[in-house]
Amino acid sequence: MDFLHHTFSDVYARQNNWLTRMDVRLKMLYVISLLSINLWAKNVSVPLFFFSVSFIFLFTIKIPFMSILRSLSLPMVFSLLILLVKSLHEGEQVWFSVSILGYKLVFREEGFFNGLHTGSKVLGGISLVITFSFTTTISRLCAGLAWFRVPNTIVELMAFMYRYIFLFLDEVATMWIAQKSRLGHTSWRKMIPSLGTLCGVLIIRAFDRAERTYEAMHVRGYEGGRILTVTLSPWRRKEYIFFIGMVLITPILIYTGGLCLW
Amino acid sequence: MHITEGILPPKWVAVWFAVSAPFVGIGIYHIKRKKRAVPSYLPLVGMLGAAVFVFSCFPIPVIALNGMATSHPCGTGMSAVLLGPFVSVLVAGIALLIQALFLAHGGLTTLGGNIFSMGILGSFSGYFAFKIAQRCKLPLFWCGFLAGTISDLFTYLGTSIELGLLVINKGGSFFKAAAEIFGVFMMTSQGVLCIVEGAVVGFVMVFIYKRRPGILFNLGVIRDDTKSIGT
Repeated sequence: MDFLHHTFSDVYARQNNWLTRMDVRLKMLYVISLLSINLWAKNVSVPLFFFSVSFIFLFTIKIPFMSILRSLSLPMVFSLLILLVKSLHEGEQVWFSVSILGYKLVFREEGFFNGLHTGSKVLGGISLVITFSFTTTISRLCAGLAWFRVPNTIVELMAFMYRYIFLFLDEVATMWIAQKSRLGHTSWRKMIPSLGTLCGVLIIRAFDRAERTYEAMHVRGYEGGRILTVTLSPWRRKEYIFFIGMVLITPILIYTGGLCLW
Repeated sequence: MHITEGILPPKWVAVWFAVSAPFVGIGIYHIKRKKRAVPSYLPLVGMLGAAVFVFSCFPIPVIALNGMATSHPCGTGMSAVLLGPFVSVLVAGIALLIQALFLAHGGLTTLGGNIFSMGILGSFSGYFAFKIAQRCKLPLFWCGFLAGTISDLFTYLGTSIELGLLVINKGGSFFKAAAEIFGVFMMTSQGVLCIVEGAVVGFVMVFIYKRRPGILFNLGVIRDDTKSIGT
């Protein structure tokens, strides 16, 4: 569970820097349009451009390298796996072959380039998403989603879930240690019923807390309406400049992404 | 089980969003309708959704490796049993969105595809497995076990279908590709994980039933005829 405590944190999104100060609607527009360009890209240049620029942006706001790496580790493994599988299975033209323990692995040129293309899209897309998540708090994200007319039920439910995930993670971590110290996890035979008990307690606590939370919200005037507290200010000159910048850069990226380099 | 960002081509991104959207819409309608009658319903769904999300982060030991490696469950089978299939689709969708944004698991363009496999297939298969097992008057543990196991199997089946469909454009056989991907899932840690998740869900149901049966009754998981339920 420690892994989640390190990764699943909005501590960087709460810092004060030029990316956290940027309007959330603008960031959402940027991410959606750049993800679309990344998806349609026919070569590796645009996805790798997104990957490297995201890295530079994250360094400028002093996000520790290890935190970025932790978020990117799984997608990087996926990218390598895709590269390997495609190199071995796609295409006709043999590039090179190696023999491992008597088993011949044949790498094909077309598959390698296809794998490189897909892998770069994975890295480009994920780096855009983590740049957004490292610089945006959940309350601002929910306010942005509400502005884009995403149904209130989704926004409220997301706010609720996100708020209580941290609380439940803390509770589970405590119970987890308690179970472990009482030899509840010594073998998988013991571990499975222990996990069942742990999750059962979690559900019961969630149910009880829901009642208490509703009562507390009702006392504060909640009658089933909106629960968001963040209000977004109208765009000023800076936001309009960023927006015009996006409008200008998009056709260049679409053109570059559409080029067939091989 | 999550298809990562950038894997699906634009055509399939659009298809899976179009397939998932009506289910999410019906989920919203269900919550809105229930919220009008019971105003505390939204906090309840949020809390249970958060609890199921945390459950899906549990490191479950891979038995084939004698616990040297861990994997994690889906949780949709349990949420479908507790909240109903349509609300579970919505909860799974939000959980996938949070995972994509804050954990870099899955992705935003692949959200539709992941909702289809984990949300729709996982929730509905788990829910119907539980209901059919209840009809057959199986003990509560086995009802939960079947819901957890079958929802996991269908989630992986959905992911295999989505990835298998990608080979059609390249002249490959969809069935062969999907079967191969599903086979790889099952032969690695995931096959055993389905059974382990089923067992955990079974234990959860029995635990709640023994400690607080009112919760299961209030959520409509069991009917009032508690005498017929064995654990």
